[in-house]
Amino acid sequence: MNFDANTIIYLLEIIVGGLLVGIGVHFVPVGGAPAAMAQATGIGTGTVQLAAGSGLTGLLSAGLMMHAMSLSPTFAQDGYSIWPILLTGAVGAMIMMDATMLTGSWIYAYAVGAPFASAKVNYDPITMFSQPPYVAPGTVGQGIPTVCFVSGTIGAAMGGLGGALIYFPLVLINGNPAMSAIFAIGIFMVDAVLASWNIQGTIEGFHDPKFKKWPKAFKACLISTAILAVVAVLITPLVGGV
Amino acid sequence: MDAFGMGLVAAMGALATVAGASEDIDSDIGSQSNPNSQVQLAAQVGNPHRIYNKAIAGEPPSNALWCTTAAIMAYVLIEGYHMPLLFAAAAGASLAALFDGVMSVSAYLGRNASQARFNQWIYLDIIRYTTPSIMAHVWITSFCIVLIAIMQVYILTPHHPFPIPVIALVWGLTVGAIGSSVGDIHYGGEREFQWRLFGQGLNTMLSGQIVRKAEAGLRNSIDNAWFCAKFGGPATGMGFGLTVFLDNWRTTVFDPITQAGAAIAMGVFFVIVMNLYNFYCEVSARRKYGPYPGYKGDIAA
Amino acid sequence: MAETVKGFKIDPKKLRIYGLVGSVVGIYLAYILNSVTGTNIFSFVGALAALFSVVWGANAVRRVCAYGIGTGVPSIGMLSLGMGVVAVLFGLSIAEQMGIGLLGVIIALVYSLIFGYVVGLIANRVMGFNIPVMEEGLTDLSGAGTLAILGWSFAISGSLGYADIVHSVINTGFLAIIFICGGLAILHPFNANLGPDETQDRTLINGVMVGGLSTVATGVCALMTLGLAAGMVQIVVGFAVWYYFFVWFFRLAKRDASAVVGTGLLPPTVQ
Repeated sequence: MNFDANTIIYLLEIIVGGLLVGIGVHFVPVGGAPAAMAQATGIGTGTVQLAAGSGLTGLLSAGLMMHAMSLSPTFAQDGYSIWPILLTGAVGAMIMMDATMLTGSWIYAYAVGAPFASAKVNYDPITMFSQPPYVAPGTVGQGIPTVCFVSGTIGAAMGGLGGALIYFPLVLINGNPAMSAIFAIGIFMVDAVLASWNIQGTIEGFHDPKFKKWPKAFKACLISTAILAVVAVLITPLVGGV
Repeated sequence: MDAFGMGLVAAMGALATVAGASEDIDSDIGSQSNPNSQVQLAAQVGNPHRIYNKAIAGEPPSNALWCTTAAIMAYVLIEGYHMPLLFAAAAGASLAALFDGVMSVSAYLGRNASQARFNQWIYLDIIRYTTPSIMAHVWITSFCIVLIAIMQVYILTPHHPFPIPVIALVWGLTVGAIGSSVGDIHYGGEREFQWRLFGQGLNTMLSGQIVRKAEAGLRNSIDNAWFCAKFGGPATGMGFGLTVFLDNWRTTVFDPITQAGAAIAMGVFFVIVMNLYNFYCEVSARRKYGPYPGYKGDIAA
Repeated sequence: MAETVKGFKIDPKKLRIYGLVGSVVGIYLAYILNSVTGTNIFSFVGALAALFSVVWGANAVRRVCAYGIGTGVPSIGMLSLGMGVVAVLFGLSIAEQMGIGLLGVIIALVYSLIFGYVVGLIANRVMGFNIPVMEEGLTDLSGAGTLAILGWSFAISGSLGYADIVHSVINTGFLAIIFICGGLAILHPFNANLGPDETQDRTLINGVMVGGLSTVATGVCALMTLGLAAGMVQIVVGFAVWYYFFVWFFRLAKRDASAVVGTGLLPPTVQ
């Protein structure tokens, strides 16, 4: 193992990736089980699973992009360029999250027959629509209003970016996409679970009062990702080959 | 861009749509994931029922398990024994369906036994006739997803660098996340509570008061599949199909090496379109349904 | 039903010792058996070793989740295996680099225990969970996840060498099935038996049952990496474990349920 300036950069990339995942989870509007009964605003599932679904879809795109880059005829001179990999990860995650929220919206609008509303704010900060008249009695809102949708898109982008940012240095370190992918999934899960514990399962997006708790998740993810990252940079390609 | 690649991407999108739809129906038959909380609560508030209670660790991990199981079997058969791709995928899906059967039965027995004090019985006939139906849907889901993974690794260029089981794991997590976010609303928000007023979510006071009787006799879980297959399932399939199709379409149409920027811009364009579509849905729902009558007056800004 | 079913109750501390010692000894026993006999038939012992840690982990899930952590049971299982994957790769890799390949198991275990404890501290101190068994529970979970992954990895690769594990478990992607199967073996038992009348023996038996199922899955993988004989032995052993414990679980469910009926309408008191 060679410890040099590059190692520090890899370390930082993994830590920043973990932090992006941890904070990104806070943006995803997740209503948990009540949302599946149209009883609360947001997507009707668990935080970790949704973040994992979108972030790892991004990871698949990023892995493909990175692999495609290494097949390029000019790869020997150019090497990897980081931005397309990270952005494609973010876009992949955003597409998954948006497709999920959009089809979920169809069900809220056309099967349950409820207008979208949030009970956490009186006015949607983006569209300025008034919310309380549209909150059904006995519930805390339903559906995915624009502000939640935009927030979810941002969250997915951060998750995908974070996943790609964890994956990228790992491939540079050990040169093994399969191992890096599993390792990235491991780190991703740890950060996503910690962040979802911080929000206690449900949140509506960046307008939710709970969003102010993000510094706690920041600290938690910083510590845990740092411990994981130190270990990650020590893993080497095979010694002696197979 | 080549025609063959485009055809493959279209086939992947179609497979993903089928996988999403069958995944959702499987979870509706088993009352898995979020609506499960109401099925669980029903017995506790004095409504024992005859509905399947398949609590297997949330949809995403459980679907990841089925798809990965199918993927390892397929991978072993392809790489180790040089079997044809389709046969390998079918054999893998069969193993996954068996795993699912075992887990479903254990969850039904376990959950209902843990509710002994609420007089929730274990009905063996439910296990006998509902479990095969769940297994059949899981077979379809894992078969489609393994085929997607096989296409990505062996056929579509550039080949995906991850091994088949890892891709199947990720797609399984994704299809589970979509199924529990989309299709479950149709089951939990509508089918479980058909007797309440239409046009609103479940009032918290009514939690656990699920519908237990059918048109004739008692409601069983196969009835739920009949209902949810009409909208919840296809919508879930649409969600997963869009994810797989759009994500792969942009890297097939635009060469990921030389036109990476265009591929990313295309993705951003899709994202913006979906944001606008959701805004349209919100506006049209608000206009058509209007505010709830019980509301006492707007709050001054 | 007059038949009596064997039930049990185990103290968590004792269970932790059983789990820890059982899996570590089991993994090394498998290694020794394999290298003494010069075959890979005994790889299935590694899978059996993983069952001990599964029981240990399932009990930890049971204890922590009894407090209600707000995000459901699955998240904690995923966390456990996420920590486990990192610890296993690190342990095996670093041991190989330092030339003490065999101690990889111990290094991975120690790292995972420490990391689990730190995550538990974070959860309690930074996030304010205030669950008294959180540190303990996450330490247990992390260790159990690591040992389960190691045991099943051994069952697939038949060796503890880093190169062998990378070649036959990671490059083929079989770690994915260990990740998710091991995760479900640890989290499914409590999730499947959730309810006010949950009992420890039923939950743990369910864990062993799912562990048996996972052994069948790793056996399928071993068909490719270790050859037909070792793979078939493992599938048969896994099936036997699964069958025995499934029958036991079914009896326990019958013991605990208010009634088990072939068919029928709703219970008479509430119709």
